[in-house]
Amino acid sequence: MDNFVLDNIALFILIQLVSLLYIVTTFLYGAHFFRESKLAQQYKQPALALTVLAHVVYLGLLTSLEGYKLSYSTFNLMSMVALTLAITYIFIEFTTKSDKTGFFVLSFSAGAQIISSIFTAQSSGAGPAFSGLGIGVHLIAAIFGFSAIAIAGLYSFLYLLLFRQIQKNRFELLFQRLPNLEVLERLTMHAVAFGFIFLSLTLFAGIIEQKASSEEINLLEPRLISLIFIWIIYGASIFIRPITGWDLKHMAYLFIALFVFITALILLMTLFSPSFHGLAILNDPLYFDNRSI
Amino acid sequence: MNIISVGVNHKTAPIEIRERIALSEVQNKEFITDLISSGLAHEAMVLSTCNRTELYVVPAISEVTGEYLKEYLISFKDARKDVRPEHFFNRFYCGTARHLFEVSSAIDSLILGEGQILGQVKEAYRIAAEVQAAGILITRLCHTAFSVAKKVKTKTKIMEGAVSVSYAAVELAQKIFSNLSMKKILLIGAGETGELAAKHMCQKNARNIVITNRTLSKAETLAEELGTGKVLPFEGYKEHLHEFDIIITAVSTKEYVLNEMEMHHSMQKRRLKPVIILDLGLPRNVDPDIAKLQNMFLKDIDALKHIIDKNLERRRSELPKVHAIIEEELISFGQWINTLKVRPTIVDLQSKFIEIKEKELERYRYKVSEEELRRMEHLTDRILKKILHHPIKMLKAPIDTSDTIPSRVNLVRNIFDLEEPNQ
Repeated sequence: MDNFVLDNIALFILIQLVSLLYIVTTFLYGAHFFRESKLAQQYKQPALALTVLAHVVYLGLLTSLEGYKLSYSTFNLMSMVALTLAITYIFIEFTTKSDKTGFFVLSFSAGAQIISSIFTAQSSGAGPAFSGLGIGVHLIAAIFGFSAIAIAGLYSFLYLLLFRQIQKNRFELLFQRLPNLEVLERLTMHAVAFGFIFLSLTLFAGIIEQKASSEEINLLEPRLISLIFIWIIYGASIFIRPITGWDLKHMAYLFIALFVFITALILLMTLFSPSFHGLAILNDPLYFDNRSI
Repeated sequence: MNIISVGVNHKTAPIEIRERIALSEVQNKEFITDLISSGLAHEAMVLSTCNRTELYVVPAISEVTGEYLKEYLISFKDARKDVRPEHFFNRFYCGTARHLFEVSSAIDSLILGEGQILGQVKEAYRIAAEVQAAGILITRLCHTAFSVAKKVKTKTKIMEGAVSVSYAAVELAQKIFSNLSMKKILLIGAGETGELAAKHMCQKNARNIVITNRTLSKAETLAEELGTGKVLPFEGYKEHLHEFDIIITAVSTKEYVLNEMEMHHSMQKRRLKPVIILDLGLPRNVDPDIAKLQNMFLKDIDALKHIIDKNLERRRSELPKVHAIIEEELISFGQWINTLKVRPTIVDLQSKFIEIKEKELERYRYKVSEEELRRMEHLTDRILKKILHHPIKMLKAPIDTSDTIPSRVNLVRNIFDLEEPNQ
């Protein structure tokens, strides 16, 4: 067999298990949110903890194939995004004591992990593995940055949903179960703040790394332009909003649009231009060890 | 031993009849004392609230029936002209228990799941106990009812969600703002509705409530009562509108107290930070066009009634769970009632064996030492206890129908040759 996942039985089982756990956890959060199932309420948090644990083990095993180095394959990165979203959600649930938004965040996590599992199982290698502190920071900060963008988008969506429910006097399920508008606004703005910090770190690490290397990156690469664009908007949201008093209702549309745009862009770029910012890195031993399993 | 309940409530009689038959605390005590002292009842309790007046009676003689009690209450209240027996409901035995359980758990209330009724049942029991009209049966019935109500409250959502306009207003405000203690609230109108809404806000930790009213002294009195002490003159409150996150209006006026232009300026001043206006007035106090402003939530009574309807719908969906709890407790209560029927036989059985033991020991009293006699007594007690264990257990065992009780009792009485019990 020339498929690295099928060749490694432990990895094969774990990849299926992690996806299954995400589905089960999302289902439990959904059952509690929509049906108020006592059983789901009882088991959803242990299920989430187990999912995150299994995911960490899975990523550990996957990176162990490359000497515990991060590998640049979008599907692996999607898996990382799923994990960071789940971890961020645990943090949100722990700090806000509100477990009512888990279904929405974890649905996205589950989707990302399932797509990642399917494509990872079909790929021939784990992808090029990175070495070096700068590129590692750049990549990890980018993953956390994308997770923050996703969470800002998801909470903005919930904010608008609840806003409309209240305005239209639809005091139904979402009105009863979602946290109040102020909490959703706070969560969105926290996600934006974290997003801005991680995107700043991504850019900073990228610039340092680019200067240290001899390679020229393509400054017109869409992901790079999008990253800078989102970074500017997020920065403006944090620093200019308190002065101008922009309201979250309109900003929410922007955060959702940015989330949808960046997700679509990453997926499209992965399918049609699977390079790293246009670099010829596949042959560069400085960046990764291109070992196929 | 039977237990009868008769009474009028919101399901059986209109308000004028309920008012006519209601008993004050003094009348309540007098009524149940009469019933007991005249030898008509062993036990009695009266639950009298604005929505119901119900008697719970353990009759002492067979003549005391539901019909008899209805007439007795009508006569006591001298209400023969207005109140007829058809206005009453009538229940017996387990039906009575079920009814009191349903009343205590607030599923028989006018507003499903309202929280006051349990306190009123407890008060009725306190009065009955005070005049020594609550015996073993009513005490057990009431305590089981309290336990049912507690279970219903903790295990179901029958009491969740606002079901009054003022509470719905608070619930809505909490869906927009997370911490009411941090929000500035303006109450326009210090009447009954406004006062109720302000009190509900205070219960949810709202502390910064400013009151304005045409009669300033009324606003000051309410502000003092709420402990905020903040009032604004009615002529000048519009200059401060931008400072408030929540505005509650409850005044009697044909003209709008807030119009679109004023609120537009206010929103500009507060940089479009969200505002909720709760218009509790009838006719409406606030220009409906204000709802079109950005980040403005304007809710009138009709909108708040939507919340109430949804909450009542949710409460109704909890009814099967409540009925299941009641059913479970009803079975236990029925089984306990059945044990009352076998109690005389158990007492007779124990007495008979003790009598035999004492007679036999008496024969040896002067033939053995005191120490030996004490040992023999101890031994026979242990033997009796073991012999009687099974028959008593069999008598007390749960049964499906009360028909089984006489056959069990007869069996034990025949085997041990017990005399027929006196009724």
